[in-house]
Amino acid sequence: MINFDNSATTFPKPRSVKAAAALALERYGGNPGRSGHALSLKAAEAVFSARKNIAEMFSAEPENVIFTLNCTHALNLAIKGIVKPSDHVIISSFEHNSVARPVYAMSKTGVKFSIAEVFPEDKLTLASFRALIRPETKAIICTAGSNVTGQILPFREIAEIAAENKLCFIVDGAQACGVIPISMSDGINVLCTAGHKALYGPTGTGLLITDGKYPISPIIQGGTGSTSVELEQPTFLPDALESGTVNTAGIIALNAGVSYVKRLTPERIYRYESELCRRFISGIAPLANVIIYRENGASYLPIVLFNIRGMPSNETASRLSDMGFALRGGLHCSGLAHKSIGTLPDGGVRFAPSTLNKPEEVDGLIHAVKKLAK
Amino acid sequence: MKNYIIALASITYAMKAQTLLRTSGIKCDVIRTPKNLASGCGYSIKAWGDIEKIAAILESGGIVQRGITEGS
Repeated sequence: MINFDNSATTFPKPRSVKAAAALALERYGGNPGRSGHALSLKAAEAVFSARKNIAEMFSAEPENVIFTLNCTHALNLAIKGIVKPSDHVIISSFEHNSVARPVYAMSKTGVKFSIAEVFPEDKLTLASFRALIRPETKAIICTAGSNVTGQILPFREIAEIAAENKLCFIVDGAQACGVIPISMSDGINVLCTAGHKALYGPTGTGLLITDGKYPISPIIQGGTGSTSVELEQPTFLPDALESGTVNTAGIIALNAGVSYVKRLTPERIYRYESELCRRFISGIAPLANVIIYRENGASYLPIVLFNIRGMPSNETASRLSDMGFALRGGLHCSGLAHKSIGTLPDGGVRFAPSTLNKPEEVDGLIHAVKKLAK
Repeated sequence: MKNYIIALASITYAMKAQTLLRTSGIKCDVIRTPKNLASGCGYSIKAWGDIEKIAAILESGGIVQRGITEGS
């Protein structure tokens, strides 16, 4: 099976990640931050090493790197920890449900939200964000790049708008982190991302990275291994947001994934995977029955959304699976984005390569799509 | 050489302190906080050297401190 569903989670993982996970389970068995014995301290050192490595990659302080279960968990922590019932927030029309659903849920308890339309032209997208700012607006929460079409939002310019208007800027970097250069120095206040996608860690890993400017109230309280005599949850990071034992093996493996990305560099990864996308597009674009959802003037992450006319997207994905290719059909947990590009209710088929896919694998997929699109 | 035990807010700060101090050539270890220094479970850094230099490094790293004592 050849995996082109790497936007959901990258697979296979680099050898260094697999080796780190195995080593973690064999040698890093202590509970980090809970005891003073050598096993515990060794695990704590490994977890801190990951925090430091990730902090360097995203221009943050190590203690401001919070380990989460996934990007959805990180976004929920950020949104629910910063936005209060009387606040107004702006999200984009390309949001994943990991942003849209928490915001919608909070709208039932007094939070107001507006949806800024995303256009192929960045200046129109920026104007739609600007036009929605109100005196009570607290935050802009948006993806750096769509998980549906791959379109990159002008997040650096949106950060400027947020700063000019003293708004908190929370970014969903699930698809962008590891593929394009992105860091807190781009004007981001809180960056949330998955560990298991383009950072090549295992599933069950995610990150919340903050610049510390906007305090985040915890939505979970519990044991942190610090200030234990007090019933009050610690206010310092990462303890405030990391109650309970962390996923040591996952974090150690994620650290290896981050090192893999740093070695290759996001710039080279973007070039390589974008070339695989160009190869795929040039192979299927001439087919009369194929629709590709890309717009002139827009920039894209290495993701291609397409459909075969007359064939439901999930059927296309299912038939490609039978032919040995894993791609995701349907709505990709992002009804908003599909509504925005006019692909409701059926959605589309998403091609998402990783660094470990080969050009000849793409050629094989092109051949399979040609068979289906006859 | 004199040594000092500095109680820190968390294991993360202790690890950060260890990294910063060792990078500056200061010998140090992460230890459990002695009960005479701070209540509850927690971690400290035991460092050998000039306390003013040690304190300046910790401050520059934004490390939250909970107490300090001279070691034995």
